[in-house]
Amino acid sequence: MRVSDMILLAFANLRRTKLRTFLTTLGVVIGIGALTSMVSFGTGMQKNITDALAANDLFTSITVTPKEINLHEIASGNVAQMANALKQESIPLTDSLLREIRNIPGVKIAYPNLEFPARAVLLGDSATTRVQAMPAAMGTFKPFDDLLAGNFFTNDTARQIILREEFLQRLKIRLQDNNSDAWLSKEDSVQGFKLVHPDSLINKTLRLVSLSMNASKIPGVISNIIRNKPEMPFDETINEMKIVGITRRTSEFGRNAFNGGVLIPIETSQKIPQLSFSSVWDLLGSKNSGDEYGSIQVRVENMQQIDPVAEHLRNMNVGVFSIIDQLDEIKRVFLILNSLLGAVGAIALIVAGLGIINTMVMSILERQREIGIMKAIGGSEKEIRMIFFTEVSVIGIIGALFGLVLGWLVTQVATVVVNTQILPDGMEPVNLFYFPAWLIVGAILFAIIISLAAGLYPAARAARIDPVRALRHD
Amino acid sequence: MKLIQISNLSRIYQKGKIIIPALQNIDLEIEAGQFVSIVGKSGSGKSTLLNLIGGLDRATAGKILFNGNDLHTMSRSGLAQHRKKSVGMIFQSFNLIQSRSALENVDLALTFGGVPRNRRKAIATGLLQKVGLGDRINHLPDELSGGETQRVAIARALANKPTVLLADEPTGNLDSETSKEIMELLVDLNKNQGITIILVSHDQESARQVSDWIVKLKDGSVDEIILREEAQCV
Repeated sequence: MRVSDMILLAFANLRRTKLRTFLTTLGVVIGIGALTSMVSFGTGMQKNITDALAANDLFTSITVTPKEINLHEIASGNVAQMANALKQESIPLTDSLLREIRNIPGVKIAYPNLEFPARAVLLGDSATTRVQAMPAAMGTFKPFDDLLAGNFFTNDTARQIILREEFLQRLKIRLQDNNSDAWLSKEDSVQGFKLVHPDSLINKTLRLVSLSMNASKIPGVISNIIRNKPEMPFDETINEMKIVGITRRTSEFGRNAFNGGVLIPIETSQKIPQLSFSSVWDLLGSKNSGDEYGSIQVRVENMQQIDPVAEHLRNMNVGVFSIIDQLDEIKRVFLILNSLLGAVGAIALIVAGLGIINTMVMSILERQREIGIMKAIGGSEKEIRMIFFTEVSVIGIIGALFGLVLGWLVTQVATVVVNTQILPDGMEPVNLFYFPAWLIVGAILFAIIISLAAGLYPAARAARIDPVRALRHD
Repeated sequence: MKLIQISNLSRIYQKGKIIIPALQNIDLEIEAGQFVSIVGKSGSGKSTLLNLIGGLDRATAGKILFNGNDLHTMSRSGLAQHRKKSVGMIFQSFNLIQSRSALENVDLALTFGGVPRNRRKAIATGLLQKVGLGDRINHLPDELSGGETQRVAIARALANKPTVLLADEPTGNLDSETSKEIMELLVDLNKNQGITIILVSHDQESARQVSDWIVKLKDGSVDEIILREEAQCV
């Protein structure tokens, strides 16, 4: 018997018991739908994170610290190990070391991570934020090569500022979208939000109010507290900065190259009086004096340069951290997550497999005489077995295809629900699910394998039927 | 030429401790082109013998040589091939698949015979026309009379051009007029197309009229062989 005839015969047989076939196939559809939607959630999360890292060029980034910091030890919460880490000898990150780093083959750019807290005042509203500093040369690197509005800094000493779109929310500014009719909700109006076109903010002046320690005010602090007139020992400096650019929204996943609220040129930053203990590295005690940096950011030419440059840096006895080192760990975590999600989906599919066994056994009991007739007119055991196998394969394939559609629909609904919740908070719309080709092919194959496994016993039972007895069967 | 040689054939059924000898030490030789009837009372072993010749069942002992090939030692796929190519079977209860039309029932036999799809419809239609059902090809068995249903079964049995047609009480469920038509059709197939026919019947009288010779079974053994001349004298 030809394969095409076998398939046509299987369809004809399944058509005879439409409701039963539909319900059995529905079991596979739900199983595959559950499996694919769950695994696509895991793969979606993984993709969002790796895409966010790639969008920020973090796969070619290295952070240099004064000493090797074992994040695992810190994360473990082991006080002794943390203390031990702090006791390690640190290498001061000075300008001369920075120059040395810039000369390492493969390094494209290296700059100190400088940031300080400040208050930004724009269009009558103000908000505190972290000010990050960067060289103007970073304008050619992701994500700064593609701004929402304006351009990157012209030079390292300009009194220019770049705003992060997310930070504008805190200044009660909603940006007008060129492609849609953005509008302010009633709630926004009550809260005093303004609807502004991004281009109209370019060249506007933003007042950046920074704080700096005034040692002469410290003795007066205690007496002021006693007199119930608390006053902190800080001076405020008002810096007028010209807005030159606004960055695009970044993914909520992963680590971003720019995670402060505003960005200013690196040399301008060094001239502004400031409190400089805002970075993690500073808190870990690695920064000793004003001439040293808490950490240095390095970008290499490509991912292949990460290892040799990192090796070079380790030979300089400084601490080295790169996302690439964490990538295997990220992959392992997601493998475990995907396995757990997949296992839950697989259970649904195995239950569907039991449904197939039940349907096929029932079908064989009902079709005993038909099997006897097929044997009497020349059907071999192999052909009878294959007819039943083809029937379960048809159930498996149709179930898998519709299951994929169901899984996709579920993920689309879930995405809409999630985005409906997060968009009012000013967050970037997310797609939490991802259907890679291997998931689609794998789900179809898995459904067919489960269906065939479920069909093994019924098909063998059908093939073994004694034709003489079957022909007498009513 | 000896088409079927049966020697010392026995078929014993066992159910628990009970042993039922359905056939015992049967010796027969059937030549190609003959019309042979197997008669006897109910339970005499007629259908068992037919099933063994048709390869639906296996003997407990003895030999059945079909064209020189021993069915007793044949593999299961070999027996399936024997049923597919060498024999066609018709039954008292017709044994058509109820959900398939007359055409589809014949088509199924052709499908098992490996006939390409583009040729099957023409062959099946031709066979149904030959048995007088050219205008009923798309009818389901339920929509046909007993005689018509048996004609579909005969068309199906002829689908893969068998050497032998095994008919197990083909008129058992039919009225006398229809029975006569079916018997005439079988005789026609035997005389004009040279198909060997082995007919199982409990009606020795009607068997006598069409057979070259008759095997009379009693309690699983050959009780009597009645040749044509003798048969016609009875």
